[in-house]
Amino acid sequence: MKPLRQYLFAILLPLLLGVSMAQAADLSIKLEPDQSNPVTPTMGDAMHFHSRIHNDSAHPVEGLVAWISLVEVTPGREQPMDLEDWSAHKAVAGATLAPGAALTTDWPMRLIQSGDYRVVISATDRNEQTVYTSPTLQFHVARKPIIESSRILPVAFGLPLLIGGVMTYRGWRQRRCT
Amino acid sequence: MSATTQIARKERWALLQDQRGLGWLLAFSAVLSAFALLLISNQELSLLDNAQVVYMLAGTVTTAGAVIAVILGADAFAGERERGTLVPLLIAPIRTSELVNGKALGLVSAWGLMYLLSLPYLWAVGAGGQNLVQAILYLVLFGTPVVLGFGYLAMALSVRSGSVLTSLLTSLIVLLFTASPLLLGPGLRNSTIGRALDAVNPFSGALNTYDAVIIDSDPFLAQLPRLTLVLAWLAVTFLAARTTAHRPRFH
Repeated sequence: MKPLRQYLFAILLPLLLGVSMAQAADLSIKLEPDQSNPVTPTMGDAMHFHSRIHNDSAHPVEGLVAWISLVEVTPGREQPMDLEDWSAHKAVAGATLAPGAALTTDWPMRLIQSGDYRVVISATDRNEQTVYTSPTLQFHVARKPIIESSRILPVAFGLPLLIGGVMTYRGWRQRRCT
Repeated sequence: MSATTQIARKERWALLQDQRGLGWLLAFSAVLSAFALLLISNQELSLLDNAQVVYMLAGTVTTAGAVIAVILGADAFAGERERGTLVPLLIAPIRTSELVNGKALGLVSAWGLMYLLSLPYLWAVGAGGQNLVQAILYLVLFGTPVVLGFGYLAMALSVRSGSVLTSLLTSLIVLLFTASPLLLGPGLRNSTIGRALDAVNPFSGALNTYDAVIIDSDPFLAQLPRLTLVLAWLAVTFLAARTTAHRPRFH
């Protein structure tokens, strides 16, 4: 009985897992900064990263999704970043990669805050449960003097209110005198 | 007290005490407030360098100042005529030159008030950045001739046409044309025609100087040709206002 069970197991297992095994992807991801990126990135600068996702398997990868992630690693402020203001190009979806083919993507980014950051590209496809990631790239964004709302708000609201107040007072006085 | 000083004082007080004059100052302040609030409400704009923002604000102050100077200049003679106060003014024992000088000084006071009003805004957007003091000084040096020049142009047209609406519209069209560099930016003006227009346009002269001094920290001597241009603009428009005031063509 034991050899029969082993025999059935040996036949059924590949059949049960056949689909995913047959289309198992093997992706490799490279990530490089653009040559024109500033040497000392400062707030407000634009940076570009280039990723190359290569299908190393013998099977096509369908429904590929690749996305960029940014993590702040400034001591005391470690957190994943919401890319809303940093980049409008956050993902590539729906691409198909033939065996041996590669997908090159340019990831533009606008540096919004100062601090230390790591960027990474992740990818997966519709059939697999594995998420592939690129090596991370770390960079520092230097602070620069920019406009501060704490200075602008009192002036922007205060002066029109002041003039409006003087106008109201004068109007009230004129009405009272006449 | 001379007649010129008396008229200038009357014009200044009209701006400070009259509801309409205060309304113009409120409008000027509202324009600068809107610009400042736009800067902090937009992520892209909030990341601009302080010097860049100060340059943009200096251009906005000059433009808004010129618009209000045009309104006041257009009202200087034609407004008096439409209100029925010009004839008593002309038959009063004052010379025409005194009347023109008084009105011209009134415009100087109006611009002075607008300039003072713009200082808190310049500080708010530019403190901590580079060349804020230079921006404040060059706004006097280059903004004053440009703004007053437009006021005097409107004043000349006001005497010539006798209509506030006509002089106002004509002056605003000239102002829109000359202030177009504010919208186009230096890159788009970098052509033969653009450079030729910049060479004779006082507004471009002021803007290019703001750019050169506030952003690029250029020295004063490099600005002398542009200073000559804006001063020539002031002289020509003032002479035009004086000349036309001696020969009014009111129908």
